[in-house]
Amino acid sequence: MIGALLTSSLLFAQDNTRTSTLANGMKVIVQEDHAIPNVAMYFFYRIGSRNERPGTTGISHFFEHMMFNGAKKYGPGMFDKTMDDNGGSNNASTSRDLTTYTDWFPSAALERMFDLEADRIRDLAFDPKIVESERGVVYSERRTSVDNSNGGMLSELANATAFLAHPYHWPVVGWATDIESWTMDDLKAHWQMGYAPNNCVMVAVGDVTFDNIVQLSKKYLEPIPRHDPPPPVRTKEPEQQGERRVTLVKPAQLPMQMILYHVPEARNPDSPALEVLSTVLDGGQSSRLYKALVDSQLAVSAGAGSGTALDPTTFNFRIQPRSGVDPAATEKAVYDELAKLQAQEVPAAELRKAKNQMLVGLYQRLKTIANRASLLGMYEIYYGDYTKLFTADKEIEAVTAADVQRVARKYFTAKNRTVATLVPEKQEVKP
Amino acid sequence: MKRWTLALVIGASLSAQVKLPPYTREALPNGAVAYYMQKTGLPLVSFRVLVKGGAESDPATLPGLSSLAAELLERGTARRTAAQFAEELDTLGGSFGAGTDRQSTSISAEFLKKDFDAGFALFTDAVLNPAFREEEVRKLTARRADSLKTSKDNPGSAILNYYRSFFFGAGHPYGRLPEESTYDLVKREDIVNYHKQMYVGSNLVVMVAGDFDPAAAKARVSEAFGGAPKGTAYAWAEDRPPAVPGAPRVLLVDKPDATQTYFIIAQPGVRRTAPDRVALNLVNTLIGGRFTSMLNEALRINSGLTYGANSSVDLARLTGAIAINTYTKTQSTAQAIDMALDVLRRIQENGFTAQQLASAKASVKGGYPTSRLQTADQVAGTLGEMELFGLGRDEVDQLFQRIDAVTLEQANAVARKYYRTENLTFVLLGNAAKIRESAAKYGPKVVERSVKQPGWAM
Repeated sequence: MIGALLTSSLLFAQDNTRTSTLANGMKVIVQEDHAIPNVAMYFFYRIGSRNERPGTTGISHFFEHMMFNGAKKYGPGMFDKTMDDNGGSNNASTSRDLTTYTDWFPSAALERMFDLEADRIRDLAFDPKIVESERGVVYSERRTSVDNSNGGMLSELANATAFLAHPYHWPVVGWATDIESWTMDDLKAHWQMGYAPNNCVMVAVGDVTFDNIVQLSKKYLEPIPRHDPPPPVRTKEPEQQGERRVTLVKPAQLPMQMILYHVPEARNPDSPALEVLSTVLDGGQSSRLYKALVDSQLAVSAGAGSGTALDPTTFNFRIQPRSGVDPAATEKAVYDELAKLQAQEVPAAELRKAKNQMLVGLYQRLKTIANRASLLGMYEIYYGDYTKLFTADKEIEAVTAADVQRVARKYFTAKNRTVATLVPEKQEVKP
Repeated sequence: MKRWTLALVIGASLSAQVKLPPYTREALPNGAVAYYMQKTGLPLVSFRVLVKGGAESDPATLPGLSSLAAELLERGTARRTAAQFAEELDTLGGSFGAGTDRQSTSISAEFLKKDFDAGFALFTDAVLNPAFREEEVRKLTARRADSLKTSKDNPGSAILNYYRSFFFGAGHPYGRLPEESTYDLVKREDIVNYHKQMYVGSNLVVMVAGDFDPAAAKARVSEAFGGAPKGTAYAWAEDRPPAVPGAPRVLLVDKPDATQTYFIIAQPGVRRTAPDRVALNLVNTLIGGRFTSMLNEALRINSGLTYGANSSVDLARLTGAIAINTYTKTQSTAQAIDMALDVLRRIQENGFTAQQLASAKASVKGGYPTSRLQTADQVAGTLGEMELFGLGRDEVDQLFQRIDAVTLEQANAVARKYYRTENLTFVLLGNAAKIRESAAKYGPKVVERSVKQPGWAM
């Protein structure tokens, strides 16, 4: 029997993390770490594809691209050029819930980064010619991540089937015809809706001081006026009343399979138990799925888990069956494993193992300033308080075998699932 | 334990030189080399072993052999079955990974500091005493053959294999890739022999990094890895730079359902140790190594033809390639290729300005600490690379001075030397019926094949 891991918060050094809220409502979180002369500065806007409507799906992501195409002080191309000249680099990402802007740079360039970010948040320019060119870029991104990717296409189909009403129905990148049709007015309306300082959390981790970040925030970010955040997402996904099955037929070497179950949002008290359950299923080569699907030679690969989400989401299984294996066989193997989790409590040693894996995983995610900036922001937004990161180990530790069994029974029912199968063209379709 | 931080010169100036953190290097009597690098802050310790050889050392008939051996290490040892090994590893919450690159096999594992002994025992058991049981060999080779098939459903990764095979050819270790049929040929005995011959003291570099007790670590490493047979040091292959063809070469790979064309434009480059490497890294940054590079500016920012265009320089033991890599919708295939070629022409004609060079220097230096010196794993990776390529610590400690010393004349000369416009190798993957004519523009003869055919070679 292996004992519990050290759960003292020696690593979750809280003393070097501080926060301040600007007069305009923007929350600033700072973690000092002077080990390398660099900084990770992240801006999390609470706006994503869940805030969109049919006809303009993908606009959050398109807007993310437009944020690099010129503002008042720094014109087209100048944001990236100035970043490069100062030794910095950047990226951005859009999810169903969030649009995140990420800057990494030498600490000497700190003030310049504030100037760059404030300029585009306050005074973004909307040049019609650039809008058209960037539309092509986003369409290319869709072609790469969805249209020419079997996994991407199957995933899009599975989500659209599992979610009928809630905005998680549509893809973050947007439907192709919406990408072709967004207008300048759509972009401006989106900016008006989501880019309020009071709708943003800024996190700076690295070679900075709290006082300096607060001072620069007051100078550059605080003058940006607050306005209404996006309206609440009203539509709730109705409870699923029966299994949904869908197939995608296209040229492919091997079939592919996704099984989705509706599960609750990140803040739901069942989430930690679901995370432990996912580790029992999919944590390493001793996990239940690896043994039942991969080691048994039914599948090339098998994975399970759910993403962190503001609204109720899905727990997904993704399986690549071996050649010659009927997807019905891999599907059955997944159901057999779920039935075991429902019938019997996970043995104590196996539960301990899953928790150990999760705790070490947490430590591993704290190695870089970039990961820590990301985690602090995610905890602030998804769990309502970044300090919950410092007690994440206790949340995991508190999950019991009975909790895991209870959530297995509650969510992994036939009525609650969607099964999406990619059937290689010219093979017999077995729905 | 004393709190340790990276010994960086922290200053306001971008030109401040970064230095490697303190570490110890030790040569063991059996030829193995050990590195110890302490970094506290997180209660983690990582172990890493490099085995010299890598893909370069694969027999010509069995490409991928070193990689199979690596992946099988954790699938059972003399003392543990695959299931027992996985159970013990996962119970510690440990992680284990092994893979090969062009010149080495890298095996790494990470554990909680408190589990140093148990973790180290598992790690060394996998590296030194793998059983390579027949059953595990067959299971893995069967899955690998299927993975190889599915990789053809992913055009972005498939084109890399077609390109390597076409550019380097079957006569070069970098041009030999496993095919579906390779996995039928591999016998357990091949893997056992590879391990016996290559995983020996003379070929091993061992690294311990993170939070650990140095004296205890040295004792364990000496006992386990110092106890491995000395063996024969791997004889590195002679460098055989890819020949510059007398005319452009074009390969067209047909994927009839593709709605965009993926393409690579390649030419011979340098070795990892080439004296031009610092200047070349700077000019590649400007040409295709960052968002505002010439390629990305032309193909994405100004024209919206693609989501991304880049160029990369192989930095391996043998002379590799310099390759432009991007994709665009089927209809704009020729337009995008012409644009990429125009970038090469502009390099030849105009070179760079002092301002551009200064910006490249800022970029390369600005990103270096976060990518190479931030975590214990990164530093271990850097130390391993130095050992493998026979480079000194000046590779890091003098890097910023060397970057600063590159003059505009040097940078332009290096750009013109390596980014040529003639006799290039083109690989296009897309809907051949729609892009066949475009492909014919770029060379006297177009070699054509289909993703449905097995393998990668012609």
